[in-house]
Amino acid sequence: MAKNRIKNNHGISSKLSTPIMLSVILVLVGYFIWWLNIPFVQDIYTSAAITLVMVLGFQIFNGNSGILSWSYVGFVGIGAFSSAIFSMTPQMKSMQMPEMYPFLVNIHVPFVVALILGAIVAAIIAAVVAWPMMKISDDAGAITQFALLIVIHVILAQWSKVTNGPRTFTLGGQTLTTIWVAMISGVVVLFIAYFFKESSLGLKLRATRDDRYAACSSGIDMVKTRYLSYIFSAAIGGFAGGLYSHYILSINASAFYMTLLFNLLSMAVIGGKMSVSGAFFGTILLTLARQGLRQIEPVLTNMGVNASGSTEIIVAVLMIVFLVFRANGIMDRYELSPSSLKSLFSRKKKAEKKSA
Amino acid sequence: MENKSFLEVKSICKSFGSLKAVNDVSMRIETGEILGLIGPNGSGKSTFINLITAMLKKDSGSVMLDGVDLSSMPAHKVPKNGLARTYQTVRLFKNLTCRENLIIGAIGVGISQKEANKIADELLEEMGLAEKADSFVENLTFSEQRFLEISRALACKPKFVLLDEPAAGLNEEETQHMLDLLKELPAKKHIGILIVDHDMHLIMTLCDKLHVLNYGQTIAEGKPEVVRANPEVVKAYLGSTAE
Ligand SMILES: Nc1ncnc2c1ncn2[C@@H]1O[C@H](COP(=O)(O)OP(=O)(O)OP(=O)(O)O)[C@@H](O)[C@H]1O
Ligand SMILES: [Mg+2]
Repeated sequence: MAKNRIKNNHGISSKLSTPIMLSVILVLVGYFIWWLNIPFVQDIYTSAAITLVMVLGFQIFNGNSGILSWSYVGFVGIGAFSSAIFSMTPQMKSMQMPEMYPFLVNIHVPFVVALILGAIVAAIIAAVVAWPMMKISDDAGAITQFALLIVIHVILAQWSKVTNGPRTFTLGGQTLTTIWVAMISGVVVLFIAYFFKESSLGLKLRATRDDRYAACSSGIDMVKTRYLSYIFSAAIGGFAGGLYSHYILSINASAFYMTLLFNLLSMAVIGGKMSVSGAFFGTILLTLARQGLRQIEPVLTNMGVNASGSTEIIVAVLMIVFLVFRANGIMDRYELSPSSLKSLFSRKKKAEKKSA
Repeated sequence: MENKSFLEVKSICKSFGSLKAVNDVSMRIETGEILGLIGPNGSGKSTFINLITAMLKKDSGSVMLDGVDLSSMPAHKVPKNGLARTYQTVRLFKNLTCRENLIIGAIGVGISQKEANKIADELLEEMGLAEKADSFVENLTFSEQRFLEISRALACKPKFVLLDEPAAGLNEEETQHMLDLLKELPAKKHIGILIVDHDMHLIMTLCDKLHVLNYGQTIAEGKPEVVRANPEVVKAYLGSTAE
């Protein structure tokens, strides 16, 4: 029958294969590192898994809409502060932040609930501010995003009664984002980011990225599509922020500004911002590269070469090299899946045959 | 035959500054018909399509599809009301696969993803693009891209489609293929077609009626043979192209 000629790879099993394969890697590596039981390595893994959640949340909007969403890290910050406020005990809060609004001091909910509330706060703020911004594309869109990030940053840095202002916000207590919490969150958000991309909303968002006129004449309401996706992305960012603050235990507004943005952006760009697998491999690769470079910096300094800051320079140059030679990153538009592995393999075989 | 739909454009006007790009144009198409819209370069054909799909805001006039005014609604609501289009310069989603391009056409108007999948695969089969279902657009030939864009317009199950120069850039063989495809579409899909093209052979073979624009104004309309013989049309347009 003619129908059989189309191999439809939209079955449930193949739809799941990408997040499953990525999760298996994440969990196996995590389990191995836990078994190794070297605290320094465990710390690297935990913070990498938290960063992965951040990059995935970033990819959800930035990667699928094509709009550079600078403001994303602001929502990570909003989630970081608000979940911390929700989870800390009133005693701890009045001790650490004597200026805080009393009604905030009195809130106290379990850690997981605080994480979710952090995501919700970020989503609500995104919902309030984002609508008019979603009408703007290209450079102008990126500039409004940048402006919003500055607004969020200044508020986080100055609102003493909520964030402790320019002083450090100390959570106290023990690290709630353990290696397991980070790993499970990574797995859950891998599935979320992948299903978002394949969802009706994600498909529409990708259509507006590729051609907004054609998207419009296909019936897509671009502003609404972007708006809902942006809120969703902000929620994941807020969640990631909560993971971060309950891991690092003392935060301030500058942790959610240019440095973080550059870090997430380099991972997304080098891994491939259109692909969930790209976010995954970009995070792994850059975490390893940064750790490696950081080990080398002091060695060079000992040898009399002033190498401080060279890590950032190398990462920045690497990003430029990618943008010039492989603008869509390592994964381009592809996802890790049995069929993409197979076609990669057969392409290699063909190339070998040709050269033989 | 099932019940017919009617697309009625009444005295539509659009100026760009002092240029009257479309000046008081009216026309009417019904299900099953192919109407050819022709005219010299810059005569306002694409602008006319942009007006009836509400991609451009009209100055005055109306576009009624079965009693609903399309020209005053937001452009993205037009396909849902039964009117789909293609572009003179092919516009496809370049980072989506062919199948996904068609799925967008369907889910854009609110069809479920499952149903959209089915529609996409059927259209790919009909258009002879089944082999390329999972390819990206850049791996298609130009004529395949034209076919894919038409398929995407059909994926929303429209009542009418507007095709802006679907044969532009195609060679003779590909144009013939396009002609064969378009010829059977109205009956098969129960739609009406408005087609703009400069290929006179295609237009004359395909169309039930012609409408000729020059400087944004209607200079002739009616049966192809009659329009072709119209001296004003010959002077404005056909004179240079035919013979
Ligand atoms: N957005 C615009 N702003 C200003 N002028 C425009 C705009 N779009 C079209 N025009 C002008 O309107 C006139 C009609 O253009 P249109 O593209 O509709 O012609 P056309 O009949 O489709 O021509 P072609 O056969 O070359 O495609 C032209 O003079 C064009 O320069
Ligand atoms: Mg035109």
